[in-house]
Amino acid sequence: MDTVKAKTSVNMAVKLGRLKLKNPVMTASGTFGYGEEYSDYIDLNKLGAIVVKGLSLKPRLGNPPPRIMETAGGMLNAIGLQNIGVDAFIDEKLPFLRKYDVKVIANIYGETYAEYIKVAKKLEMAKGVHALEINISCPNVKKGGVSFGSEQKTAAQVTRKVKDETSLPVIVKLTPNVTDIAAIAHAVEKAGADAISLINTLAGMSVDLKKRRPHLKNVTGGLSGPAIKPVALRMVWQVVQRVSVPVIGIGGIMTAEDALEFLILGAKAVQIGTANFVNPRATMDILEGIQGYLERNKITDINKVIGSFKEEGGFLC
Amino acid sequence: MTKDIFIGEISNNEEIQENCFLMKVALPASFCDPHPGQFVMIRISGLYEPLLARPLSIYSFSRGKDSCEIALLYSVVGKGTQILAGLISGSQVEIHGPLGRGFEIDKLRQNIVLIAGGMGIAPLSLLTEHLCGQKCFPQSAMTFYLGAKTAKSVLGLDKLQKLCYNINVCTDDGTLGEKGLVTQAFQKDIKKYSPENTTVYACGPKDMLKSLAKMLKGNKFFSQASLEERMACGIGACLGCAVAVRDNKGALTYKRVCADGPVFNLREVLWE
Repeated sequence: MDTVKAKTSVNMAVKLGRLKLKNPVMTASGTFGYGEEYSDYIDLNKLGAIVVKGLSLKPRLGNPPPRIMETAGGMLNAIGLQNIGVDAFIDEKLPFLRKYDVKVIANIYGETYAEYIKVAKKLEMAKGVHALEINISCPNVKKGGVSFGSEQKTAAQVTRKVKDETSLPVIVKLTPNVTDIAAIAHAVEKAGADAISLINTLAGMSVDLKKRRPHLKNVTGGLSGPAIKPVALRMVWQVVQRVSVPVIGIGGIMTAEDALEFLILGAKAVQIGTANFVNPRATMDILEGIQGYLERNKITDINKVIGSFKEEGGFLC
Repeated sequence: MTKDIFIGEISNNEEIQENCFLMKVALPASFCDPHPGQFVMIRISGLYEPLLARPLSIYSFSRGKDSCEIALLYSVVGKGTQILAGLISGSQVEIHGPLGRGFEIDKLRQNIVLIAGGMGIAPLSLLTEHLCGQKCFPQSAMTFYLGAKTAKSVLGLDKLQKLCYNINVCTDDGTLGEKGLVTQAFQKDIKKYSPENTTVYACGPKDMLKSLAKMLKGNKFFSQASLEERMACGIGACLGCAVAVRDNKGALTYKRVCADGPVFNLREVLWE
């Protein structure tokens, strides 16, 4: 039910360093499969970028079920990075994505530095991957992931190693489960990150009162959805003040208004995650909503909105 | 783009038994005919608390000239279904579907056995409707085993009696039909059916399916079960509704109940 829209004169294109996007609306890794899953619902060409499900060197089974639980204004997940592995991605999924005129960003995950590098190199060789997003923030796997992301030193190290081995733009995705996220952001920037995306899910849990057990087999999981948006906004705000590389805002974005809040704070782009589960057309609704906002406010360029935040707070009117 | 999300209008939403509701939703003609075993994701547009849509099996389907209607059977188990239960006729709901892979129909197998426990009647009811409508099997080829805790909680019997005459009702307390589990009733009859020539369709609580799987292990019944799992997206993206299955080599792997199922070959599923 696409409404035919008058051609917009608004510029929606944004730059994440070398990476140019048609618009700032990206998908968040792990919520958009490998793109295919949503191609019946939206025109993938219209997206700013597709960030695919986290890829590891070898296929991963993922965690035993139950893997998800709904919570107030959000959901917990402990999927455990189930994925088909980087080789199968290149052979089976990438050809489909190549048919589209859309930036494809591969989210990568490793248990060791060497694995991150191997996955990165394989993706660089494959045609059709435009950037890498290093996942150092998955809370649901025992090795790798968040253990790299929770210390400045290891976060910087994995960034530097991947940067040294690939010429693709590198985005580093940060975990919110740290004391000082701006310090981690600063460390990965110094290590060469081309952009920083945040936040991944917040570690959480949920208790089944009847059984007196956790709802998730993994006991803990990652919280996402509208419930985490204020935390994400606060962290994006802290990070944009600390780094000069482009920042991508993620966390509980359900509507165009939510996305605009991140952009106004200074995020150059946003990733839509859990909203895709609730509404497979969420990215398009958000994109159209941002365009509508610009048109209504007679703003001709999205870049004029980005970073237009005025810090003085506390007005009651 | 071939799939859409529909706004449906509730034409009826009544409590047919304690805590159990039947909701009828009118949908535009562009809503596809569901294959038995398929489901829809249902939610209230724009509502983010509860956040996720609810997966519900399609209980019944009819197509009119300019519109169609689905019926959904559900019990109130949490916040989401509580809200659904409170909706009155004329309310609008967002319907996404039909989704998933439904039951396989093997026309070469002449006998059909359907085994439903409790809410498990929902997809099997649409299947029965479909099998009768398609007239590919005589009514005499179909046998239904319908189980519930007690007489009051037997679901869908009225509709079933119009479609099928071999119906065995079982209740845990014996207040209606035979006393005992629906799987026990089937087991008593199992020798009546030639495995090579029979398809078994099942849906119900996990324990029921588990014991059925055990019973049918190692014989040649073509047995399919519709599974239930918590879901977020319903379209195979979130990987939340994982079910452990055996792959071709016999190793454990996870499949998605929403997109690879909800109907699985009973033999394929690993019950821990």
